[in-house]
Amino acid sequence: MRRSAHILLNDVRRHVKAPWAILIFIAIPLVMTGLIGVIFAPRTEGSELPPIAVLLVDNDKGLAAKLLVSSFDVDQMKEMFQTTVTDEADGRKRMAKGKASALVVIPEGFTLDLLEARPVTLLVVKNPAEQFLPDIVEEFMATMAVMLSGVVQAFAEEVRGIRAMIDGPIDRIPWETLGPEFGKAQKKIAAAAKYLDPLLLRLKEEETQAAGARPRITASHLFSEILPGMAIMFLLFIVQTLMRDLLSDREDGKLRRMMTTPLRPIELIGARIAGGWIMGLAVLLIMVAFGALVFRATVGPFGTFLLLAVAAAFWTAAFFALFHALVRNRNQAGAVAAPVILAFSIFGGSMINVEAMPKAFRLIGILTPNRWYIDSAALVRDGRFPLVGLIVLVASGLLFLALAVPALRRRISV
Amino acid sequence: MRRIKRTLHVAKNDLRIMVGDKIFFFWTLAFPILFIVIFGVLYKAGDNDPDVARLTVVNLDQGRWGSYFIGKIETPGIAVTVTGEEPAEYGRLLVIPADFSARIEARRDQALAFKKRSDASARAAARVETRLMQAIARTIGELVLYGPGDLAEFLDGHPEFKDLVVVKSEFPANTVTVVPSGFDHSIPGTTIQFIMMMVMIYGGITVMEDRKRGVLARMLFSPMSAGELFRAKLLGRWLMGLLQALMLFAVGKIFFGLDLGSVPLALLVIAVFALAMAALSVFIGSLVTKEDVIIGLAILLANIFAGLGGCWWPNEIVPPAVRGVARISPAYWAMDALHQLTFFQGGLADIAVPVGVLAALAAVLTAVAGKTFRIRE
Repeated sequence: MRRSAHILLNDVRRHVKAPWAILIFIAIPLVMTGLIGVIFAPRTEGSELPPIAVLLVDNDKGLAAKLLVSSFDVDQMKEMFQTTVTDEADGRKRMAKGKASALVVIPEGFTLDLLEARPVTLLVVKNPAEQFLPDIVEEFMATMAVMLSGVVQAFAEEVRGIRAMIDGPIDRIPWETLGPEFGKAQKKIAAAAKYLDPLLLRLKEEETQAAGARPRITASHLFSEILPGMAIMFLLFIVQTLMRDLLSDREDGKLRRMMTTPLRPIELIGARIAGGWIMGLAVLLIMVAFGALVFRATVGPFGTFLLLAVAAAFWTAAFFALFHALVRNRNQAGAVAAPVILAFSIFGGSMINVEAMPKAFRLIGILTPNRWYIDSAALVRDGRFPLVGLIVLVASGLLFLALAVPALRRRISV
Repeated sequence: MRRIKRTLHVAKNDLRIMVGDKIFFFWTLAFPILFIVIFGVLYKAGDNDPDVARLTVVNLDQGRWGSYFIGKIETPGIAVTVTGEEPAEYGRLLVIPADFSARIEARRDQALAFKKRSDASARAAARVETRLMQAIARTIGELVLYGPGDLAEFLDGHPEFKDLVVVKSEFPANTVTVVPSGFDHSIPGTTIQFIMMMVMIYGGITVMEDRKRGVLARMLFSPMSAGELFRAKLLGRWLMGLLQALMLFAVGKIFFGLDLGSVPLALLVIAVFALAMAALSVFIGSLVTKEDVIIGLAILLANIFAGLGGCWWPNEIVPPAVRGVARISPAYWAMDALHQLTFFQGGLADIAVPVGVLAALAAVLTAVAGKTFRIRE
């Protein structure tokens, strides 16, 4: 036992003296969490997307076109859209370079056509490199189109009358005859007011949660959700790196020299596995502590989380003990370990949200430690005890350990 | 001429050794393809691009206006399911109350409950909401137009609301003609990310190992100069990046119908980008003495550059401030140039700026790598 502890301490000292690789691997999940969190963190209420760049081209310059353009100036729309009024040639040139999400072209004669109740077409040129924002502009314009269609139809008769009168030179406008037309329009406005003030139909929006669903995420929730996936992924990388000593000692001839001392193989194996476990746990806790300090990521009750961290670090150490017992040399270990870890991470939900995955991927994910750790960490955050996750991690870890120890003994005895 | 031959010989040999490693194909081809498929499918079928946004309508209305209003909601891109009671599972739900018709006929205003699940697609919710607004506008428009009399008889016959103003959408002239698929987004992104990662890892480690094992020093016993050796190492890593891009683009073209626009220009972008990465790999391999540190650095840098540069998610959803910071990422310029070619069918003039930035970066990194290139420990 003393000899095992001695080796373990020596290993820790050695890795602390040359910490760069481990520090970088600790930094990666934190940087990734920060990056993803900054990009996807919910922003101001009602605006989950960045401002949408819209180019407006008014080829008409008439009253209806002005009304349409000014609809982008309403406070709520100002937050949503960043509009630039330009001419068509410039707008199309900019769109050809992808400099805006969409270009809205109001055609020449738009107002006159509307006054004549003739169908008109608004053109929305969409940025092909963007997937979401151009559609929002299109939907907004479609809503505006419906509203304009309604207004035009409601007042078509009056407007036609007035237009016929004012089409001639200004000195020939029969001003006295305009009165009845305005009168008709006024009556219609009064009638419409019954439906418009207050609006006859409105929507009362409400955000609801399915039974068992988590509340709407905040920035710190988001960091709390991303960090466990990243942490378990890089815990695997780090423990694999730390436990590569099992192979390098053998290849460097250190193992043979160590075995000339009274050290028993089981003591060496025990020290190396315990080393991977303890250092892995320490690394995981450092990542979590950093996440809590910088991103205000939460882990839930610390005692329960610690239990989960111990189980995850144990699983990782046991898995890589078996892994290093099976591979031939360091090169093979390096070549195989990374794909295995990345496969765990993809299917287990470290890289992609499990809910966004196809069903088959989700099923494969059950075979990965990432999935169990991520799901259990979510339960702990919600204040629940991750019994199943802990059982799976510890039981499979014990199985790997039971297989790894005799296999490693055989390799050490060779 | 001999110098060039010697440089090419060493570079080709480096490439041959790397390609001879079986795991090389996993990293440069199999694994990126897995990424391409996963992200391509997610872009296409995920929350990001729902073909149809679903809406559940609980119609409790005692009269005829409820069904009439639902008819107004049913437009292309919206799938409406009508039920008699509120289901436990839904993404978006509209409740039409029992007195819906009665209130309309009495011209009394009312607010319809529109419930959105917090965990459901925000994009689908936005589409449904705009369609509901359009349905409301149409209904009220009809009432204003044709409903001055008894509204109870309104539904027995009235002219239809005419959409005098219609919206037509199109892509810019001389760009794409069909909506780009998820793979059109995921293939360039994944290619750029894996060129960064693999050139830095393989290139960096082999430079470090050649130095540590004395291979570089021994090569100087040949007529090669240190400068030629540096150029050969740079060339070998550049060829590796190019080879990887060629393989991934070929797979993209054959299996996923990737359209890069101008292939020669796309290869020019990749060539300049790969040169910058090759120089970075030689620089890292010259400075670092541990394999794990090179791997860690490569993963860290490649992930930061890829995330910032728009390899993983469309830049449109990125906050403006982060988009500004993204310009420090070589991946940003490469993706910008590839987007110009893929989505806008751009020419040389359109990619001049991003390619110029990448070329300048490649020149600086090559100069720095040349200065720090070490033959011995």
